[in-house]
Amino acid sequence: MKPVTIYDPTLRDGQHAVKHQLSAAALRGYAEAADAAGIPVVEVGHGNGLGASSLQVGRAAVSDDVMLSTVREALRHSRMGVFMLPGWGTSDDLRKALAHGADVVRVGVHCTETSLAERHLDFLASEGAEAHCVLMMSHMASPAELAGHAVTAVGYGARGVGIMDSAGHFLPSDVSERIGAIAEAVDVPVIFHGHNNLGMAVANSVAAAEAGAAIIDGCARGFGAGAGNTQLEVLVPVLERTGYRTGIDLYALLDAAEFAERELMPAPPVTGSLSIVSGLAGVFSGFKHPVLEASARAGVDPRDVFFELGRRQAIAGQEDLIVDVVAHLREVAR
Amino acid sequence: MTEVAVIGTGAIGRDLVGKIHRSPVLDCALVAGRNPESEGLKHAARLGYPTSAEGIDAVLAAGPFPIVFDATNALSHKEHWQLLKDVDTLLIDLTPSRVGDMVVPTVTGTRAPAARDVSLISCGGQAAIPVAHALAGRFPVSYLEVVSTVASRIAGRATRLNLDEYVATTQTALTEFSGVRDTKAILNISPAVPPATFRTAIHAVVPGASATEVRAVVAEAAERVRAFAPGYRVLACEVNGDRVVVSLEVAADSDVLPRYAGNLDIINSAAILVAEQHAARPVVVGG
Repeated sequence: MKPVTIYDPTLRDGQHAVKHQLSAAALRGYAEAADAAGIPVVEVGHGNGLGASSLQVGRAAVSDDVMLSTVREALRHSRMGVFMLPGWGTSDDLRKALAHGADVVRVGVHCTETSLAERHLDFLASEGAEAHCVLMMSHMASPAELAGHAVTAVGYGARGVGIMDSAGHFLPSDVSERIGAIAEAVDVPVIFHGHNNLGMAVANSVAAAEAGAAIIDGCARGFGAGAGNTQLEVLVPVLERTGYRTGIDLYALLDAAEFAERELMPAPPVTGSLSIVSGLAGVFSGFKHPVLEASARAGVDPRDVFFELGRRQAIAGQEDLIVDVVAHLREVAR
Repeated sequence: MTEVAVIGTGAIGRDLVGKIHRSPVLDCALVAGRNPESEGLKHAARLGYPTSAEGIDAVLAAGPFPIVFDATNALSHKEHWQLLKDVDTLLIDLTPSRVGDMVVPTVTGTRAPAARDVSLISCGGQAAIPVAHALAGRFPVSYLEVVSTVASRIAGRATRLNLDEYVATTQTALTEFSGVRDTKAILNISPAVPPATFRTAIHAVVPGASATEVRAVVAEAAERVRAFAPGYRVLACEVNGDRVVVSLEVAADSDVLPRYAGNLDIINSAAILVAEQHAARPVVVGG
């Protein structure tokens, strides 16, 4: 069996589903359960990563310092991961995260803007940290473009590189092509991070592994924005049956997922109307809450808002566009 | 006419040269870059201005100039200030270095700056601070956040490498000019095609804000900015409980820049205004 590394961003990406309100006790409980299951990397933070607590996306209930020290204490075997978006977090945030004992640092950029990560990847390499670069909203670039950006990221010092299907737009063949192109172009582990807007997250993750991805992301109960991410406790046994070795204990993994459902979320994600629309429109799933709220206030159809955001090519982080789009649709309706 | 020099030949430098060309009081005496083949140097030469690929060394050799615009990057600006601080020059800094005194024309007034190194802060700072300052002057603002979006095509290498400085400098300036201690700055780079016009959203926590009053304060602040940056306009102004969201757009009014590059237009327009005020200041004999 071929080894594959499971990377668990439940305590980071899941934050989008609960407006970044996870408590320190919830973080500790899940981190302990994930550690007991032998999950290799447990990522923690605000949904948009280090330094990203904001009105634009949501202010976190717990500071970065408390999140990192809580999860660090809870992990005995698993490595701790953090996420950072240049322009949102800064090198100071990276320094603090390393001081807290972060083992893996992912720098996220929109899939065509890898040069935004040059400085931070260079800094992390000089600190000897294991830095990854993830290309977000990767449905907005071709396989060849993504491979080119992956090569650039490795040149900046990334020791892992890959793609996020931030809008949950991909079908398995899209993933195979893109992961295949990247795996052929770089000699570092390739990452795939799926979203479930069109019900494809597990199938897409298997396609990624078969195309050469060595690091696959999954969240307990799929905890994440909108329709959620790849469901971790489904992903792991499916990969094992397909012929990949994860090193994760099934029962302990199922227990961690039970804990997550009970303690982290009001209800597990479902593929609701807006998640389907955001997947089709190619818009970041994390826009769901602000779109719903702004649409309800203005009396416009939130599905129209998603398609208009897609038309304007909104990228992750551009939640401020929602106010304009809603105002525009309200005007058009009059 | 007051002689000025420009260091840096990226999009900011190129537009500055275009704006100096239009100015009735400023005369471009030197444009200095690093690459003799750069578009910026060719553009300056086509307009008939002296150029050099020797960077700051050329400015030191040909100077002193009464005014030097620094359109390089935050790190280089620190060196340039060290080299120019003992020379009788006003250094106008377009990088987010946070070295000089910060200037926002509609807030710091129309007098010539007293400092010899003035900082234009950042594009997001120039767009947001007039509104943030007006809101904080009228209401008890407890938190301010500014999210700007720049089109990828106009975000050059210095911008991309200086994101940390952009964030720190914009936050510091927001606090300095609004008096609000808790501030945050965020920068997004948009790859949309056709490129998205530069925009800035201001989120504020304002207990007891009335929507009518907020809109009036924002409209008045925007009108004053439009006096020197005509492409500046308010797109939306929403008040929901104690949350205020103002979104602004700046379209470029420039011979050099595409319309979407309002980020460069607003910071350069402010810089030119500062230079023109300095050029018009009374000369103090023996002072």
